[in-house]
Parts: sequence; C-alpha cells; structure tokens
Amino acid sequence: MYNAYTENAPFLARQNAFNSRLQEKYLQGALAEGRKLVFDSIKEPVLWVRDGKDLMIVVKMLRTDDFIKVDFLSSLTAYDNKDKVDGPKRFVMVYNFYSTTTNVRIRVKLAVDLDQAVPTLTNEWAAANWLEREVWDLFGIPFAGHPNLRRIMMDERFTGHPLRKEYPIKQREPFADNIPFHLGAQPLPKSEK
Amino acid sequence: MENKQPLADFYNPNVLINLGPAHPAMHGTLRVMCRINGEVIEDASCEIGYLHRAIEKLGEEKTYHQWMVYTDRLNYCSALINNIAYAMTVENVMNIKITDRCLWVRMIMMELSRIIDHLVCLAANILDAGAMTCFWLLFRWREEAYTMIESACGMRLTTTYARIGGMSYDIPDDFIPRLFKFCEEFPKAIDEVDALLSGNRIWIDRTRGVGKLSREDALNYSVTGVVARASGVDIDLRRDRPYMAYDQVDFDVVVGSNGDTFDRYLCRMEEMRQSVRILKQCIDKIPGGPIWVDDRRVQIPEKIDVYTKMEVLIHHFKIFMEGIDVPAGETFTCVEGANGELGFYLVSRGGPKAWRMHVKSPSLMQFQAYEKMIKGDKIADAVATLGSVNIIAGELDR
Amino acid sequence: MSKDGSAFAYPMVLAEAAKWARKNSLWPMPFGTSCCGIEMMAVLGSHYDLSRFGAEVVRFSPRQADLLLVAGTITTKMAPVLRTIYDQMLEPKWVIAMGACSSSGGIFDTYSVLQGIDEIMPVDVYVPGCPPIPEGVIHAVLHLQKIIDGSIDRNTAEKPTHEDAINAMNYRKALTHDISANWRVTQEGIVPGRRE
Repeated sequence: MYNAYTENAPFLARQNAFNSRLQEKYLQGALAEGRKLVFDSIKEPVLWVRDGKDLMIVVKMLRTDDFIKVDFLSSLTAYDNKDKVDGPKRFVMVYNFYSTTTNVRIRVKLAVDLDQAVPTLTNEWAAANWLEREVWDLFGIPFAGHPNLRRIMMDERFTGHPLRKEYPIKQREPFADNIPFHLGAQPLPKSEK
Repeated sequence: MENKQPLADFYNPNVLINLGPAHPAMHGTLRVMCRINGEVIEDASCEIGYLHRAIEKLGEEKTYHQWMVYTDRLNYCSALINNIAYAMTVENVMNIKITDRCLWVRMIMMELSRIIDHLVCLAANILDAGAMTCFWLLFRWREEAYTMIESACGMRLTTTYARIGGMSYDIPDDFIPRLFKFCEEFPKAIDEVDALLSGNRIWIDRTRGVGKLSREDALNYSVTGVVARASGVDIDLRRDRPYMAYDQVDFDVVVGSNGDTFDRYLCRMEEMRQSVRILKQCIDKIPGGPIWVDDRRVQIPEKIDVYTKMEVLIHHFKIFMEGIDVPAGETFTCVEGANGELGFYLVSRGGPKAWRMHVKSPSLMQFQAYEKMIKGDKIADAVATLGSVNIIAGELDR
Repeated sequence: MSKDGSAFAYPMVLAEAAKWARKNSLWPMPFGTSCCGIEMMAVLGSHYDLSRFGAEVVRFSPRQADLLLVAGTITTKMAPVLRTIYDQMLEPKWVIAMGACSSSGGIFDTYSVLQGIDEIMPVDVYVPGCPPIPEGVIHAVLHLQKIIDGSIDRNTAEKPTHEDAINAMNYRKALTHDISANWRVTQEGIVPGRRE
C-alpha cells in the first residue's frame, strides 16, 4: 500500500513489525487510556496521546525503545481543528519522529485547547526551539518551559496568529521601522510595544 | 546570553555585529547577530522571517493544482524536486500509482535538479571566499542544464513541471541525447574545479576546521542532507527509505568525518558525480509508454481532445475550475532534496482544497545549527560557513 | 566662469557627456531576496553578460551604487530595510523592480508581502516575469539607459492611451467574432447584451 515506496523495500518489514509492536507495547492496560492508534493514507502509524505529560512519557519510551531507537525530530507542527473533526479540542500538535538507525517513522499527535500550554521538546532536541517558536507565532499555542518564546516569522509587534482559520489571508500589518534585534529571551520592553 | 545589551564600556571588548538581512553573500534574507571579541565570534543569534510569504496559508486557499506553482518557489534552486515531492504527496493521499515512464522521468529531473542546486551552492560559497573564477565555471554548466529543462517544460527556474498523476508534458525527443552529452562532459567541469580548489593551500586554510558541527550536534539539531553527512551521520532517504526506483540504481552515499566546511565542499563535489552516475543509469533504463496515469480523477486530457470533444472539455474544465477531489486522509511524504530531507505534510478533509499543507524544510534545521557552528570562529569564517550550509531563504521562511 | 560672470562656453556638451557616462557605467546593487536573485546571478554570469552594458561593477554597498536592482519578494518585515538601503544611496539613483513580486506582489497576495515596491519607493523600470528570463533584465537595463539619455520620458513612458485600449478591444473582437454578437463594446468596456 505504500505507493511512494518501492515494493519489498527492506525498511518496510521493520516498519510493519513496528506497527504491530505499537499495539502491544504502547497501548497496554493503563497506558492505553486516552491514547489511540490510527493509520494514515499510506499506512504509517499515528499515535494520539492524552495530554502534555503523556507526550513526554511517549517521547522517552520511543527514545529508549530498542526496536525503534528514535533519535531524530523530522518535523513539529500543528493544525487548526476548527471543524472539530479530530476531537473536541481546537488545535492538534503533530510530531514526526524518525530513527536514523532503524529507518522507522512514527507520528505523534496531541490535541490542545485554545491557550493550553504544551510541554516543550527543547530539552530533548535543540531543533525543537525554532519549530515551537514558529507554532507559537502562527497558531498561538504556548509552550511551557521554552527558553525563548518569541515570534519568528512575523515582526514581534504583530498581533494575531495568521495560520488560524479565522485569520483573513490578506490582512496586512506593516511597520515603518525595523525594531532593534535583541539577543536572549527577553520580550520587548513595554515602551517599545 | 545576556539579557541586556552591554553599555558602551571602555573595558568591555564585546561588540555586536549585524550580518544583516541585506548582505552580499546572496543567500537570501537572513540576519545573523554576532557578539564578537576582537574578531572571534563568541555568540551568535539568527533571525529569519524576512521572506515569509505565507505559502502554507495559501495551501488552504488554493486548489491542489494551483498550489503546485508555489512549490517551485520553496527551494528555487532545485524547483523540480519540490514539484515532484508535492505531486507524490497528493498521489499518496489519493492512492494513485504513476506509470513507469513518469517515474523514471521524475528521477531524471530530480537528479538534474540536485546537480544544479549543488552548483549554485558551491558557486556562491566559492564566490564568498573570493575564488571568482569557479563561480563563472560552475554557472556555465547551469546554463546547459537550464537549456535542457527549458526544452522539457518551458521555463528555466520555476518549472511547475510535475502534475498530480503525471507530468505536464512528456520529455522531447532530443532530451535524452542531450542529457547523455551533458553526462559525458559535465564531470570534466567538476574535475576542473577540483584541480583548482581541492589541493589549494588558500582554500584549505579557509575552510578546514571552520564551521564544525559534531555528530551529536547534528542529531540534536536534526539536520539532514550534506550537512549531516559531512558530520558523519549516515542518512540518505534515497537509500534508507527508497522511493520511486532508487533501489534499482547504484549509487554511493558520501559521508564525511569532520563536519567542517571543507568536508561539505568535498561531499557536494562527490555527490554531483554520483548524480551523474544515477543519470546515466536512468538513461539506460527509461521505458516508453504513457506518461499519464489512466485515472479519470486526475488525468488531464490532451489538448486536441479538449478542443474537439464535449465530455473531455467538461472534464478538463471541472479539473481546473473546481479542483480534483482528494479523499480525507493525511500523509507526511519525504524525499531527499538537494538540501536534505524535504517533506510535505498534507491533511485533507476531502474536497478540492487542502485543510493543512505544511512543508518541512531542511534549511530551517540547518540554520538553527548554524548558530552553533560559527561559535568560536572568526567573522570571515562565518561567511564561508554560510555558503556551505545551503540556506535557501524561500524554503526557510516559506 | 570668466571674469565678468558669464558661464563657460558649451555647457550642453558637459550635460550630454554626463548622461553618456552615467548610462554606460551603472553600478548595480543587487538586492536579491528570492528566486529572481538566482536569475539575477545568471544575468551577471558569463552567459548573459550584464557587464557588456557597463553594469559590471557590482557593489554591495548602497553608498557606492547607483542602480538598485530589487529582485525577489519584499515582505513587510523586509520593507524598512529596503527603504533604508534606498535612502542610503546617493543621487542620481535608479530602481529596477525585477520580477512580478517586486513589481506588484506577484502570486503572493498575503498578509506578509508588500504588493510591489512602489508602495515604498519610486520605481523606474518594471520587469515582468516570474522570474524574468535574463534577456528581460537586459532589456530593462537598456530601457533604463534610454531613460537616462532622455530619449524616453521618465514619467509618461509607454502608458497605454484610450485609442490603444479601443484598438485592443477591436482586435479581440476580430478574433472572436462569433461571440461578439452577444457583447457590446462601450466606453466602460465589453459588456454583455445584444447589439441593436
């Protein structure tokens, strides 16, 4: 069923074995509460987790699991669940993990409400720093424990979160000057806002 | 890092230097703020977003065919790779299997794009370090490749060649002979640049030991592509998770050991040779046959039928005005782009427009690692390193 | 100036000489942000050589340049930077807006893209294309040379007139004569409705 991949490639055996292992190990007993395993259009696994704490538990399990040995953060993003097709909460955080040694992919999803904080992954991967800043900028999902949560794509004085569904695409907010760049985690002082 | 900028203090040697958004290195709009002591960079902080064009938001407004145009503008040095990766993503959600000829044509185009992307990166890197001759030499071969790409799809840089289910035109008859001649003559150019630079004392002094990224840092920052391979991380999506027909061609994956700028330069040179090797094998193995898949949902009919038959006209109209109907689903499809792992994460709720179209850009990860790479180096080294970490601003900011 | 205050003889020749010198030694400052930047590099390369027309010395400092070649999309975050660069250039200076994005925003009509750099600075030549082929950029530089020379008026060059618009509509009418029975050509344009 993997149209993008050549049939009988060696990594597919590992990936398929991992898909069945997910069912046994990650959805066992007490761990299964609030979690769900679905498969996407090309039969790759998508694991829904319960909340932020559960996310950190799953990440630790994936990193230490000898079968998959996740060591790579492929991507960290989110999407707006305004029509509530994927549950009752507003946003869904999506994490794509990859293992360079076993070549297995897994996607982890976490549903969050408006203004609900998500624990940061910067302690696990330094790559998550800018990716979480981007999600904060474009969606408004705050990250608890992030060292430097400021806007990255838009100007720091910009109001609104563009990638939310209610933000009109042509609503511009230009600024006549370039604010001074400041190092470190400090937000803008009140006088410059 | 300090919370406040240090006051102008006679005894404080630190100076804040801004390699600003408009800079001669021609790598697009990015800003690097360095705190320097003398000429050594003690701390660096990068700012991006100067080319944020809301391509992902446009993915929710435009139909799938319309968004193909925006994929060219992501990594504009190798636009065909982006087109093809996006077409693969939508085909995955729709469960379409493309024809064999389309598959091999796509592979040829991807490898050709990889060559021209490496040529741009090397030329810009070498120009920044001051060796201007190689810039002209390498750009001349870009024009050869551009002429071939233009004969196939009409445009040099922003091609929009792939379609969902096929390619917009089949390659012309003289494409394969021209490509064969290119594969015969291009390695001589790599040899020429190699002879000028790889043993050159000035170049080695300029790039060896500069911009080092250790293996642990490469994994921590999750970089991919040449930057990761030069640091010793042995990943290549073409070999590890082969897509299209990459398991039927022989090629070597180039892995470095030091992770400095010199290793990245050598990796790129050798990868171009490997791409030429793949191209030669593709020329041998390319089959005939149709280039469009025989699927009524996506197949764009031939113009001669559109102008003469009524049902075909209506079908053509519906495909382009309403959009194709993609079933609900999601996928994260990654290919090995010239820069690294390029991925498209598509969430579809059914209908002609995507619900969420996210692009995983390799440049973003590499630019984060760049802050780490230039710590301890001098300002001139930061410029040389910036050229070797192939940052394409279109992909970085989307 | 001579002792009684009358000016030196032949000032006209100096002005002509100044125009000739300026147009044949334009020092471009390439402000390449995105895809058009790569095509600009190709123009400055050896295949489509821009230095044939005098624009060889590419100066990355605005204080030393007189032609600002804006190639690529300018976002609202970048606009103050571009304006600063333009202000730092010395008179006489010219601006070429290369590509669709810098002329009018291009295909990006979004919340962060400036819809053309003429929102923030006066532009002399617009080059259409996405990206324009290098011959287009060379055409723009030659056009700019004619503007500097004075043979093309800077402000009213090549604006279409009313007759041009009517001729264009008549040409369209001639091509599609079978649908024109249901359409009328009026002052406002082509409107539906049968001709009496």
